[in-house]
Amino acid sequence: MLKLNVLELEKSEYTGGKSSLCPGCGHDQISNNIIQAAWENGIPPEKVAKMSGIGCSSKTPAYFLGKSHGFNTVHGRMPSVTTGANLVNKGLSFLAVSGDGDTASIGIGQFVHAIRRNLDMVYIVENNGVYGLTKGQYSATVEKGSKKKKGVANQQAPIDLCAMAINLGCSFVARSFSGSKKQLTALIRAAMSHRGMAFIDVISPCVTFANNDESYKSYNYVKANDEVLHILDYISHFSPIEEVEVPEGEYQEVSLFDGSTLRLETLAADHDYTDAVSALSAIHQSEKAERHVTGLLYYDDNVPTATDTLGLSETPLVELSEDLLRPSPDSLEKVNSGFRS
Amino acid sequence: MVMHKTQSHRRYLASSRFVRVLGTKRAMEKIVNDFVINVATANGTGSQSSNLIILHSMFEMGVPVSGKNLFPSNISGLPTWFIIRASDRGYQAPGDGTNIQILMNKDTWIKDLEGLEPGTIVIYNEDVKMPVERDDCVLLGMPMTKMARKINPKLGRLIANMYYVGAVAHLLGVEEDAIEKAVKAQFKGKEKAVELNIQAISEGREYANENWDFDCQFIVESRDKDPDTFLIEGNEAIALGSIYGGISMLSWYPITPSSSLAESVINWLPELRSDGDGGSTCAVIQAEDELAAAGMVLGAGWAGGRGMTCTSGPGISLMSEFIGLFYFSEVPGVIWDVNRVGPSTGLPTRTQQGDLSMLYEASHGDTQHIVLIPGTVDECFEFGWRVFDFAERFQTMVFGFNDLDLGMNRWKTSGFTYPDSPMDRGKVVRSQEEMDSIPEYGRYRDVDGDGIAYRTLPGSGLDPILYRGTGHDEDGVYSEDPQVYHDAMARLKRKIDGAREHLPAPVIREEEKKDLGVIFYGSMENSIVEIDDMLEESGLSVSTCRVRALPLHSGVEDFVRRHDRTIVLEINRDGQLFGIIRKEFPAELIPKIHSVSYSDGMPPRARVYSDMILEVLEGL
Ligand SMILES: Cc1ncc(C[n+]2csc(CCOP(=O)(O)OP(=O)(O)O)c2C)c(N)n1
Ligand code: SF4
Ligand SMILES: [Mg+2]
Repeated sequence: MLKLNVLELEKSEYTGGKSSLCPGCGHDQISNNIIQAAWENGIPPEKVAKMSGIGCSSKTPAYFLGKSHGFNTVHGRMPSVTTGANLVNKGLSFLAVSGDGDTASIGIGQFVHAIRRNLDMVYIVENNGVYGLTKGQYSATVEKGSKKKKGVANQQAPIDLCAMAINLGCSFVARSFSGSKKQLTALIRAAMSHRGMAFIDVISPCVTFANNDESYKSYNYVKANDEVLHILDYISHFSPIEEVEVPEGEYQEVSLFDGSTLRLETLAADHDYTDAVSALSAIHQSEKAERHVTGLLYYDDNVPTATDTLGLSETPLVELSEDLLRPSPDSLEKVNSGFRS
Repeated sequence: MVMHKTQSHRRYLASSRFVRVLGTKRAMEKIVNDFVINVATANGTGSQSSNLIILHSMFEMGVPVSGKNLFPSNISGLPTWFIIRASDRGYQAPGDGTNIQILMNKDTWIKDLEGLEPGTIVIYNEDVKMPVERDDCVLLGMPMTKMARKINPKLGRLIANMYYVGAVAHLLGVEEDAIEKAVKAQFKGKEKAVELNIQAISEGREYANENWDFDCQFIVESRDKDPDTFLIEGNEAIALGSIYGGISMLSWYPITPSSSLAESVINWLPELRSDGDGGSTCAVIQAEDELAAAGMVLGAGWAGGRGMTCTSGPGISLMSEFIGLFYFSEVPGVIWDVNRVGPSTGLPTRTQQGDLSMLYEASHGDTQHIVLIPGTVDECFEFGWRVFDFAERFQTMVFGFNDLDLGMNRWKTSGFTYPDSPMDRGKVVRSQEEMDSIPEYGRYRDVDGDGIAYRTLPGSGLDPILYRGTGHDEDGVYSEDPQVYHDAMARLKRKIDGAREHLPAPVIREEEKKDLGVIFYGSMENSIVEIDDMLEESGLSVSTCRVRALPLHSGVEDFVRRHDRTIVLEINRDGQLFGIIRKEFPAELIPKIHSVSYSDGMPPRARVYSDMILEVLEGL
């Protein structure tokens, strides 16, 4: 018997085309996690809009959720296309993937403004520290001292996208690793249950250009230096069965918009995900120690979304009929006579 | 649309220019409704209100007038000129010279004065304390600032401008009623301001009457005013058009001269586009830049909305990459370009038709875009709504092309006409039944033979694809196959070519004798009648053809065929439409087509262009 999700769909309903990425690429693992998360959450595939920019990472929407519409846009400017689609159809669930080049360099402006507007979307950066698709140049997220397979070590300070997002008031900020299946799936599921910008920075080794041990985003390096904030369990609103028994008081529960819960079994007791300063401190301390902090860094469920603030019609604008989109002949007469008087 | 010119505007020529007015102090030849006033002020001194009051008061009297605001790229202090032209013949170009010069700005005082023809009437503010050394002109001074300070010490600088309104009203005989109406319209609802300004204007009028012993040969005379007419800026007309076109998302980034288009949409939305429960049926978003503004339009169009943005040349440059994606992924969207003078920041508050060739082929690779080109405010409104139908019908990004002159100056209309056809949402498959009725559906498969394929919308669950800017086959699947790419590009060409005859046809005013045809577009409409008259004074018989869209309608080529010689007349340096014509028309027609193109930032002065045309004809 095949397993079915809450919509009685098989997992195969959430898969996509065959990947053309390098075998072992971290991005493919993330795609698998997206498929798993969407299936487990019982998201109707037709209500998802897959969005991406340009890069190896941005190609991946072709490899997951084949039953969903998507748009592989231009380099760095996926957020604006998502914004336009969201404004006219807030009924869609936007699931976006981007790369570190796509987001932290050419697209940094749009990234910043999408957060500032709290665009209702899941925004995953598949972060490998290099431009994979143009053959391995450093990106702006590469750490000082990190070295890719060829060339010299990077000398510039990195842009930490999570820290930036927190400073901008992003409502959901997390970091994970493509090799941490359980953590990543839980975070993507939680992100899908969130309303507003859910940003996940996923370290995703580029096996071709930067998987050597001197690269801070290589598989081995991340494995050895992953500073896990908490163990995560996602408890969905439709099957609130506790899968893991944890002693009372040693976990925190995050209530998500759709009624689901993200349970954090606290390892780092001093981290407070509701406090931006605490989250930033965790990021900066691990950066200093040349490690990667992962988990739910920051969460705030009290930020209005882009469409909340615009005073729009309750009905998604694309569903409005012509009589609501085109004012009446009488109204035009009034406009004309207003000018005449 | 071919119209016989003899019926249309010949009557202007017939009406006599000089009318004898008897019974004045000295019987003198009066010139009625035919003069140019130039007002020289500094930006930010409130002179715009005074100038509009002069313009509107004459308009109230039924005098055919037009106004041109020549303003600097500055908020306060730099020189501004406002040109008002009255003409019973309906001429709207700035005119050859100035009949009445108003001097308020000390920075341009000397130069403005030097440039005047002998005999010009000069009204000047004595309080500026600048020399007025032109004995060959009529010099009329008034202590405008002092008088203004007396009625309101704090607002003296602003109100001083109202005194020249009074002076002009006195000299030309502008009726008090008309002035009052114009003031009220200008300061709608602000009782105090209305009162104060009317007082200043009356004082100006009285001062002129008592102190100036001068009988002005220029006068205004009431004409039957069509009560339906009013003046409006092209940008506001486009904004209204888009609202009646069902715009559902406006993204914009401020840039002169397009900002007022977006701001007009914002102003009108609450009244015109509320859903009845207080919700707006159109989203407006101030984007972080033009790259994002274009991306938002793309997203909106892809999701099934009617997205639009407006900008000027620099913004189009930034949007270029997205424009290619619109074209290649076949997503509808609307971008209005309100042209200002380029390249680069250029003369950001001056007018030009310098973006046309950029729009037509914007972005990299082989592209070709539909461009709608209104020439009147009525067309601004009409194309404002129609443009969405074209975008959705042809599944592509469509440009509206306006310029600063038409966009930011006020022009006459008799009121806008309600859309005469329901919204055309194009080929969108909205249900499974519809889908089943299409043989061999593919997002990019041309099943009807018109180059336009059917599309489905995200959220519909119908035949989803991943839209992309990379090569794709008829099903929307990634492909680098040479034949697939070639065929896709050939279909796109066919699709846009197929739009030609559906787009607004040229407006043709044609003579019996086919000596010379003049092809032009956009805001040149406001100068063409005068250019035409100037050319005909030299014995030529001139037909005109106003292009209203790219790609060109077959009517333009036919027009060329019918005429011995054709001039393509444009407000740019290189003859951009001429370039397009030369590339697209049959080779045998090219030798009889010539370019006359000139741009200096000014709205087109008829004499400049007619002289250039005559020069080109002489050289043939
Ligand atoms: C405007 C523009 N400039 C440059 C490129 C070339 N380009 C394609 S992908 C890419 C970098 C991608 O890096 P990243 O986002 O990190 O993705 P990755 O391949 O590493 O997953 C670049 C520079 C482009 N497609 N468009
Ligand atoms: S180049 Fe790097 S990022 Fe791109 S597919 Fe290969 S491994 Fe992945
Ligand atoms: Mg990368």
